[in-house]
Amino acid sequence: MTEHIPEAVFWCLSAGLLAVLVLLARQRNVTGNLRRQVLSLEGAVRARDAEAHHLNAVRLPALADVLRHKPATVPGPLDGRLADTGFGHSLEGVVQQFSEAMRTAQARADQSAQGALKGAMRALQSLANEQQVTISEMQERHDDPEVLRDLLQIDHTNSQFGRRAQAIAVLCGSWPGRQRAASSLSDVVRGATSRIRDYRRVVVHGHTDAAVVSQAVEPVVLAVAELLDNAARHSEPNTTVEVQVQPTHNGTAIVIDDAGVGMNDEEIRQATAVLSGARAVDVTRLGDPPQFGLPVAGVLAARYGFRVSVDTQSPYGGVRAVVFLPTNLLTRIGDDAAVPERTRPAAAMPPAAPAPAPGPPRDGTGPPPPRRPPRPRPRRPPRPRPGARPGRRHRTAGRPPRTTLHHRRRPAQAPPPGRRTRGGVPRTTRTTRTGRRSGPPTCREHRLRHGRLAARYPLGPLRDRVGRRRNQA
Amino acid sequence: MSPRKRGKGLVRPYVVTEGRAHPTRNTFDLVTLVIASTDLPLTGLNPEKRRLMELCRGGALSVAEIAGHLALPVSVTKVLLADLVDSGHVTTRAPIPPAQRHDARILEELLDGLRSLS
Repeated sequence: MTEHIPEAVFWCLSAGLLAVLVLLARQRNVTGNLRRQVLSLEGAVRARDAEAHHLNAVRLPALADVLRHKPATVPGPLDGRLADTGFGHSLEGVVQQFSEAMRTAQARADQSAQGALKGAMRALQSLANEQQVTISEMQERHDDPEVLRDLLQIDHTNSQFGRRAQAIAVLCGSWPGRQRAASSLSDVVRGATSRIRDYRRVVVHGHTDAAVVSQAVEPVVLAVAELLDNAARHSEPNTTVEVQVQPTHNGTAIVIDDAGVGMNDEEIRQATAVLSGARAVDVTRLGDPPQFGLPVAGVLAARYGFRVSVDTQSPYGGVRAVVFLPTNLLTRIGDDAAVPERTRPAAAMPPAAPAPAPGPPRDGTGPPPPRRPPRPRPRRPPRPRPGARPGRRHRTAGRPPRTTLHHRRRPAQAPPPGRRTRGGVPRTTRTTRTGRRSGPPTCREHRLRHGRLAARYPLGPLRDRVGRRRNQA
Repeated sequence: MSPRKRGKGLVRPYVVTEGRAHPTRNTFDLVTLVIASTDLPLTGLNPEKRRLMELCRGGALSVAEIAGHLALPVSVTKVLLADLVDSGHVTTRAPIPPAQRHDARILEELLDGLRSLS
């Protein structure tokens, strides 16, 4: 029995050894599998690390640049295999949220900047306008050429100041700011000329009877002023800026030629994009120093329905800017001015009103101004006044007008009391003009008419004379 | 209201005078009478000068009246007129001299008349 014991031990041992071997082999398999798994996971983690780093260091900054309108391209993820994983989706979510947050913040910042600028510029604009009115009044009041010279300089600077404020306000979404009556194209172009620094270099050629409708006057003036300013700024000081007003089949073109440096293809492409008005102009990103001219012209053109182009070369080597005004922005001042005449009731017209004779052929700086026939004004009875002596007043009021006295007076200076217009010239001069057109205009008749008018307001010239004497005294 | 007045403020006076404030001659008074010569062409004149010529072609007008019609300051009008006198487009004539000094009675009547008007 005992001889079987070693055999049994042997078998046991060999079975145990076999089991150990099997286990070992299995363990080795498992270990290999695990090692491979670890390696692949390590690789995946490394790829995610690299992806996250790439997102942080490259993709988000590039995206920020693009959102700030800088020239940049946003690269995609490094590893395309991660795109379908949850990690990839999360990264895309981060990118989207980042761009949305940036857009929102930017829009809010732009809006508040525009709002603040708009408010500030409106205040400046109204101040400039107020100042212009004051300067105009001073120009009327002062007769000294030295004073006038200074006033003209102040006026010029003030106009440029107003234009700058107006341009920024327009870019911020404000309207150009001044309501004007329909004005002839030559006035529009010269109005634009008066708002730039080098106004003496602008030469206006061509002529058309067309006028710009009331609501488009200020926008067109502003756009043309910006283009003229660009033209004058980018050309030599001794060259001229030529403006041609060119009637076309379905509108009128204002052509501005400068003899400056011109633009290269890239600049022309950018300018065309800006002038098309398709892209919203951001007032906070106009470059340094900010370039207002073309964006303002583009915004106004898009808003009011005219066209501005700068893609042609001028015959003088510089840029040719063309402002094209379609027919619906054009009118004739004569039609516009005739409206109040028609609406006036016919009964108000005196029957003896002379029919306006056809005047000399006008060259079209404007149609003839509407003429008013002289209306008889009933004399008011004198009001009793507490401080006045009744007896003397009665004597004066009852006396017929001393016409002979006024024939001796200077005829042209007969301003009736209280009837002065703003320009300081009596309104009676208008009737003088009306009367003159109906008959042969001689100097003698002119004086007689003035004499008659003066007789209607008998004390006008006397008062003037007395006032002057008092001043002299 | 004339077209120029309605567009007042659009074309500034320094553009009208091309920046000059001094007339080339200092012979104008508010009441100087201006007479246009009819035989010279208007080419080469700016719109204000053309309007001035059209105004004056009808007969004599005083400087103050011209300034009122053009809606320009008198001093600016003088600059334009001086140019036109230089180019021969207009001629001027001195105003009719003022009458003798009034006596006190007329001045009193004047005062009374003014009171009764207002």
